[in-house]
Parts: sequence; C-alpha cells; structure tokens
Amino acid sequence: MKLFFLLLAAAFVPDFRDIAVEAGLTHVFPNGGLETKEYIIETTGSGVAMIDYDNDGLLDLFVISGAGGRSRLYHNEGGDRFRDVSDAMGITRTGWGQGVCAGDYDNDGYTDLFVTYWGQNVLYHNEGGKRFRDVTKESGLTQDRIRYNAGCAFLDYDRDGRLDLFVSNYLKFSFEETPKPGANPYCWYLGLPVNCGPRGLPFDRNILYHANPNGTFTDVSEKSGIAEPHQNYCLSALVADFDGDGWPDIFVACDQTPSLLYMNQHDGTFAEEAVLRGAAYDDNGKAMSGMGATAADYDHSGWLSIFRSNFSDERETLYRNRGKGEFEDLTISAGMGHNTRFVGWGCGFLDFDNDGWKDLLLVNGHVFPEIDRKNLDIHFKDRRILYGNLRNGKFEDLSEKAGTGITGKHSSRGVAVGDIDNDGSVEVLINNQGESPSLLKQAGKPPGNWTILKLIGTKSNRSAIGARIRITAGGVTQTDEVRSGGSFFSQSDLRLHFGLGEAQRIERLEILWPSGLREEKTGFAVNRILVLQEPAPQK
Amino acid sequence: MMRVINLSLIAGLATFAQADALTSGLEAFHRGDYVTAERDLSKSPDPRARTFLALTMAATGRCDAAGAELAKAFASGDQALKRLSGLALAQCDMAGDRLDDAAVIASKLKAQYPADPDVLYQSARLSMRAWNETIYQLYQKAPASFRVNQISGEILETQGHFAEATLEYRKAIEKNPKALNLHFRLGRALLMSSHAPEALDAALKEFEAELAMNPSDSIAEYQAGQILLAQQKPDAAGARWQRALELNPDFPEALVALGKLRLEEKKNDEAIGLLQRAVKLSPRNESAHYSLMLAYRNAGNLAEARKEKAELDQLQKAPEGEFTEFLKKLGEKPPQK
Repeated sequence: MKLFFLLLAAAFVPDFRDIAVEAGLTHVFPNGGLETKEYIIETTGSGVAMIDYDNDGLLDLFVISGAGGRSRLYHNEGGDRFRDVSDAMGITRTGWGQGVCAGDYDNDGYTDLFVTYWGQNVLYHNEGGKRFRDVTKESGLTQDRIRYNAGCAFLDYDRDGRLDLFVSNYLKFSFEETPKPGANPYCWYLGLPVNCGPRGLPFDRNILYHANPNGTFTDVSEKSGIAEPHQNYCLSALVADFDGDGWPDIFVACDQTPSLLYMNQHDGTFAEEAVLRGAAYDDNGKAMSGMGATAADYDHSGWLSIFRSNFSDERETLYRNRGKGEFEDLTISAGMGHNTRFVGWGCGFLDFDNDGWKDLLLVNGHVFPEIDRKNLDIHFKDRRILYGNLRNGKFEDLSEKAGTGITGKHSSRGVAVGDIDNDGSVEVLINNQGESPSLLKQAGKPPGNWTILKLIGTKSNRSAIGARIRITAGGVTQTDEVRSGGSFFSQSDLRLHFGLGEAQRIERLEILWPSGLREEKTGFAVNRILVLQEPAPQK
Repeated sequence: MMRVINLSLIAGLATFAQADALTSGLEAFHRGDYVTAERDLSKSPDPRARTFLALTMAATGRCDAAGAELAKAFASGDQALKRLSGLALAQCDMAGDRLDDAAVIASKLKAQYPADPDVLYQSARLSMRAWNETIYQLYQKAPASFRVNQISGEILETQGHFAEATLEYRKAIEKNPKALNLHFRLGRALLMSSHAPEALDAALKEFEAELAMNPSDSIAEYQAGQILLAQQKPDAAGARWQRALELNPDFPEALVALGKLRLEEKKNDEAIGLLQRAVKLSPRNESAHYSLMLAYRNAGNLAEARKEKAELDQLQKAPEGEFTEFLKKLGEKPPQK
C-alpha cells in the first residue's frame, strides 16, 4: 500500500488554474510603467496577504498597489468568491505600497496588518473584525523622513509575549535626486538605458521596533544591532529560528549585496553572521540580487533551510541548513541550477500533492520592461516555476506541465500561500504588476492526506508567531514554524498546512511555543483543521 | 589634452615666476586661450616659459616646431614639466602616425607615473589606435582568413552579441578545422548566448572537440567539468577537474571547483588541502577564500574560518571589487602554463 501511494504521489502533476477573475479579483494594481520604468520605485511593488481578519475561518485576501491605484481587501464569501470590502473596512491609504505582514500585535484576538511604503508605513489595527483603523501615529511608527520601506515581519524577538516588528529598507530614493535612465553606468542594462540602481544609490538601514506594553513601538535598531551593517540593499525579510535555540532569527534577502542573517543573542541584540554561516553569497562567494526568501524543512532534517530568489543570469539559491543555522548552497545538486533566465520574486514552500514533502513555487518578471526590445530569452512577463520535491534532497522542475496557472506570463512580485476553501489543498495569491492578481487553485484533488494547524498563544503572542511544530504522521516527521512576512513582501496563511501522505493518523505533535513552553500531543485524525491553544500560564 | 595641467602646478610655477608675462601666459594656457598664452610666454625670459610655449604650440597642432623643446623638457629633471612634455610628445607622435615612437614615450611615462590618470588615458588611446590599425590591416590584407572570423567573434563577444559570435566562430572552424581555440571560444559563446539547457550539451560538444585536437588543454577540461556539474553529474565533473589538475597542477579555478565538490561530499580535509593550494596560487580569488572559509567552518576550525572571512571581506570592498568584476566579465582565457 505504501509503495502504491509513493508511486501515485510521485506521478502526480498538479494542474494549477488561475481563478482570479471568477473569484472576483478583477481590479488592476498599477506599479509604474509597463513599457518602460523611469525609476527603481516602479520595480519592486508589491506584496499580497492571506489572512482571516474576521475570524470566520476563511482566508481573506489583501493586495497592495503602487501609486495610481489603491490596495484592496477582499472578504472570502465562500465558494471561492471574494468581495471588495476595502472602503467598508477602512483600507484607504494610497501611494507606493510595498510589503505587508500580519500579526495580532495587541493580543486582542484579531489579526492586524502592517503595510510598508516608500513614504510612511501604516499599521492597521483590526477593530474586532469590523474595521481596520490606521494607528500608525499613536503607536509611534511614524517615520521622520521618507524611507524606502520594503519587507516586514512581526516577531517576538525578546519572547515577552508581545509582537515586535522588523522592517527592511531598500535604499534612499527620491524622484528629485535619482538620475534618469542612461545617466550613469548604473543606469544601463545590456545596452539599454534603464532605471538607475540599486548600485549608485545611497544605502539605508533596517529597522527593529520593540513593542511596549501600552501598544506603542520604540525604534531599537541601534541598540539591538539591527542598524548595522548598512551597506546592503535589503528587500525581503524572513524570520525563523534557524539555529534551533528557541529564539527567532532574521534573514534578509539583499539586492546586489550580501544577504544578511541576524542571529538572536537572547539579550535583545542580534549579531549579523550571514557570511560565516554561509547564507550571504552564492557558492562562489559572490553577492546575488536577492529578492524573495522562504524557509522550510524540505528534507525532513528538522532544520529550516532557506530558498532565495535572484536576478536573471544568476542561479536561485537553496541554502540547506546543515544544522545549528550553518548553511550550504546546494542549488545545483538539488536540481535548481538551470533556471537562470528569470528574475525571481515571491516564493513559497508548499506541499501541492500532500505527500508530506514541501515543494516550491516562485514567480518571475523582469525589472526592466525595456528588455523585451532585445528579443532575448528573458522577458518582463514570464511564467512561474514549480519544483516538485523528489524526497531525496532533489527537486524536479514541473513548470511546463503544471497547468496554465504556472505557464501564464506575468510580471509578478508578491506571493502568499494558503487554503482559501479549507479543503486541504493550498491556493496561491500572486500580485502581478499592472494587472489583476492571480489566484492559483488546483483543478484536481491532491492524493495525500493533510492537516491544518491553527495555533493560539496565551502566554505567547496570540498569533503564536514563532511557534515551532514537529508533526509526526506515518513515521515521517516534519518541522515548521508560524511565520509573519517572508516570500517577497507578503504574508501567507498564519495557519500551518502539512501534507501527510497516506498516514491515517497524526501520531505526535510537538509544539515549542514562543514562551518556551514545550507541549506534546498524540493521536489526531487527518484531513481536518486543528485548533491548538497554548496551555494557560499557571498562576 | 593640454587642459590636464593641474592648478597646484600653475600656482607653484606662478609663485616662482620672475615676470608677470610668465604668470599671465600660464593662466592663459590653462584657460585654453592659446593665442594669449603664446603672446605672453614669448615675452618671458624664464626657461619654463620656453617649455610652456612648446606645449602651447603642440596644443595648437605645431608639433614640428615644438618637438625639440618638448624632447629637452622630457629628458629634464623637472618632474612636472617632464610629465606634461611626455604627454604632449606622445600626442604629437600619434597625430603624426608615429605609433611606435608614441609607444616608447608612453611606456616611459607609465613606468614613471604608474597611477597617473592622464598617462593611463593616453596609453589606452594609443593601444586602441594601434589595435584598430592592426585590425584594419587584417581585414584589408587577409579578408578570407579564418582569423578575420575569429577576431570578429571575439569582438562580438565583448559587445555581448554572443549568438552572432557563435556564427563567426563556426565560419572560422569551417575555414580551418584544425585551428586551436576555436572550439573553445565557440563553446564559451554558446554558454553565454542562451539560458536553455540545450546550450550546455552544445557547448560540451565544442569543448570535447577542442580536447580531441589538444588533449592537454586543461581549461577545456575545466569547462567541460563545469557543464557536467550544471547537468548534475558531479562525479563526471570531478573527474574532469582532476584531469585538468593533472595537466596543470597550478590551476586555481580547477582547485576551487574540486575543493567545493569535496566540501559537498563532506571530505573536509581533502577540500581544505585543495583550497589552500588555490588561495596560495591566487591570493585575490574570492571564490577560493569563500570556499576555504566554509571548509574550515565545516571542519570546526572557526578561527581559520574567520581569517578567511576577513580576507574575503577585504577583497570584496568596493569600488575595486566592482571594477574587478567588470574586468572578469570580459572573460579572457588565461594563458596555460
């Protein structure tokens, strides 16, 4: 029977379809020019989120817009239908929207949203699922100058039960001071005058905000060590406990400069150790143009490895965690070395066939629309890439046969993964520049069993962000964490989805809550959503 | 060209000038007002005025009249005048199509002022001019030669036109199937011309063809290994790099490639040995330092790993690193030892 399942699962090729229009996601989200882009700000937007803002058990969708449009919140009406509720819910901010991350920062039971901008960020407080209120100013998150805020993530870095906030910054940009295409050597690409940067534009620094008991935040970037180094063009933020010490670390994918890995020192500070830990460069010691980043225990080692998307003429990077947060670049041997014509952005590990091994999806699209004039094999709009996990440390590229949702061409950026209809098969939300978003859903049912875990913290932060799960089913143990942020500027479902293959029961669940409480549970049925609440602290 | 004189020199010279004519002549020279400069410098009895008069004449195209005085100044001990006169003489020789004479002066200038941007600029112009003239001769005198196609391919490569370059190399091979390096060049251009996996097979075929003609080509062996690795055939790749090292034991890139492979195979000691050799042979090789750092780390020797990281950090400092990277992209095949 086991062999039969393995053969069945191995032969399974998903058929992803884009159901966005049928689902009601028809608004176009502009992000600068589609024929030419004069400034770098037109190239990086924007992210998406899948959150259940009203606690009705169904994932709602949030899509960020660049200037000239507006970000929108869509309520999940069930039956794969969504309704635009932006006005009613108070989602009103416009501008150059970039990234989004979610978390219940005030532990009131409702998921809040933080949206980054070139300009002022916005913290939307969720008012009981009825409305979002802009509390940026009163929470102390107003910035004293225009910044190019990029990725973000809520995390409880000091494990005090309150969610802190990390915001990566790309560079210093202004329309007035940034040179025009062709103005200097950093404004050319393959003989074409293009928007300038990031090289040649000034660096900025990343920001860490500490959450105070009164609901406000304090910038602790300097004293926490996050403000250094500041010679990196930082994009996506990815938080995970990479060294397994129970404290969240922060990986930042950086463009044309080494990526960063801030290791939590357990005393409110971080040490940046990406180079020595092998997560800064490619295997030649060369900085890549890192865009998006995601993490998973793809090889069942019990450690969270990192995947980073990069620029064209670069390989994507799979940093395998060889234990304790030391990484090795196994991109080529894992079978991911050949897709060098794409500029990659949002990415997510997902188990599309529910076989218990995380597969990988990433989306693409060049930063220079002008490239299409060159008639090369790199394009402004390009297809997605889907890798199937072969369960031996290697991946198979399924892109060309995984359905029109994968082969369709767009200039995509943010990606979020979640199960919109709670049927155990994950969907994918994608932000496409200058188009309506994509919502990918499989036409068929994946062969394996599954579970979805919704964790609720009590002593820990209510969203349980940072909780680490080890789930054993069918003799196979998988590890994952509840995560805010990640991918490219995006927020995936805060619930954890696990494929379980042919397993009929979940044998064991181990939860390491952010508070430090370790909990073990046994004997759950498969193919259902489990809600797990942290045992209340003893008085 | 004569505008390159720096202000400090003007100021210094002006301070020592015996007459207002010298000062005003130098100022006019600096402004590019050569008519006034010639008038005022002619009036000054100062010996420096004679040199600047010659520089003025050179700048206005009267090299014959200026030549003797410039040569005298170039041979003198006054460093500032020597430099300016040398630059003017080289310019005059280039204008008179005396490229060999210009090369002699440029060589002397480079030896004496190795970091001077004006000297380096003039040398670059001279090299470019000589290159252009030689290419012109090749096209004129041997238009049907495979060398014409080969050099066309090489030029197209530097311009990033890799698909067009492959066509030229194929023509060259058709004309002279026995010529060495053509298959190698074609293989490399094929790799650069497309991201498709099929390009790997096509390029590998060319490197094999190069090796069939020249079995001792360690660089072709190395390239074949790189392709085999990209095709996820690490054992075959490793054998190619071993062979490259048998042919050329001092081949840093092959040492790094094999060292990285051993690292992935968790053979840390072997990896460290290979990478130490690479670093010794090529102390500025960032990939070698990075891989050695990881090898030490994996072996648990953090102290040595940190030393390698420090070396790497130093090498990657901008802007030198960026320019080095730019030069690397030009991708010249290094000479074999």
